[in-house]
Amino acid sequence: MPSFVYPFVAWLAETPFSKLMIGNKYWWAFLMDMHFIGLAMLMGGVGVFDLRILGLAKALPIAPLQRLLPWAIAGFGINLVTGGLALIGMPVAYAYDYAFWFKMLAIFLAGVNVAAFYLTGTVGRVERTGAGQDAPPLAKFIAASSLFLWFAVIVLGRYIALFENSIPMGSN
Amino acid sequence: MAVPEFFNTIEQSGLSTWLRESESIFSFYFILVCHTLGLALLVGVNSAVDLLLLGVASDIPLKPLKRFFPVMWLGFYVNAISGVFLVIAYPTKAFTNPVFYIKLTLIGLAVATLWAIQNRVFGDASLSEAAMVAKGRTMAKLSLALWFGAITAGRLLAYTYTWRLYDTLR
Repeated sequence: MPSFVYPFVAWLAETPFSKLMIGNKYWWAFLMDMHFIGLAMLMGGVGVFDLRILGLAKALPIAPLQRLLPWAIAGFGINLVTGGLALIGMPVAYAYDYAFWFKMLAIFLAGVNVAAFYLTGTVGRVERTGAGQDAPPLAKFIAASSLFLWFAVIVLGRYIALFENSIPMGSN
Repeated sequence: MAVPEFFNTIEQSGLSTWLRESESIFSFYFILVCHTLGLALLVGVNSAVDLLLLGVASDIPLKPLKRFFPVMWLGFYVNAISGVFLVIAYPTKAFTNPVFYIKLTLIGLAVATLWAIQNRVFGDASLSEAAMVAKGRTMAKLSLALWFGAITAGRLLAYTYTWRLYDTLR
């Protein structure tokens, strides 16, 4: 852990806003509740889109399925906010947890995957994949990576509680 | 509170104790992981299908969405099985919490709605796409509301229980 992390999270943990986040167990329950709602929105939108690219329900043209993506993005947005507030609420607990950092890595890689989808022009070829047609192989690879990475995010997220204090404190 | 000793019997069992106390990453947290993945499959895909039934992508043929039902039912079975293991680990915590019964009721209704959508909307080959939308609209809205409630009830379980184990009753 870089040497600036511990003083920063220790400072953050003492701020009034941080204490506000963990002050009421029903507020925390609400943050976690919305985090799971966001998860369902994200996984539903991304999942249906990716599964079609992989060949499930081939009678569907792919282009219209993109209308689900704003809902997936909204779900991600909800999770970014609720996750951010949770992090502010318990910064020391998360900062010293391997599962949390690997989860952030997985989210970053999922973002890189999305960028690849657009920057390689795969999005265009996928949009032109009509009813009964196969998506291009690169699209299938990106879709499979997407599903794998988001599943990894879920798995790592659930293990955060188990890996609390897994990173020794005071290490630089 | 008159709580059946049966819960104590379950908690004393080898399986229940292993789930709660084992250091293995394959014990309690693994079951929770399965439960969340099942949620992603069942509630995630169901919500997407609900949105499509509500016209989010109006230029899409709905009938092929039938192929997503096995994915949803897989999520359901994963959660039913992982749910049983969760309750074996903490029977007192679950069964003495009214919120748990609310959760099961909402899930029951949401799954019944899914079953109804599968049979009445996707199961009737004679329906036109427009008729599918007309028939499925109310069920889709109901489905979304019920899943929202079920997820909320599920999350609240961690924050509303009074007794974690049978031993803490005394």
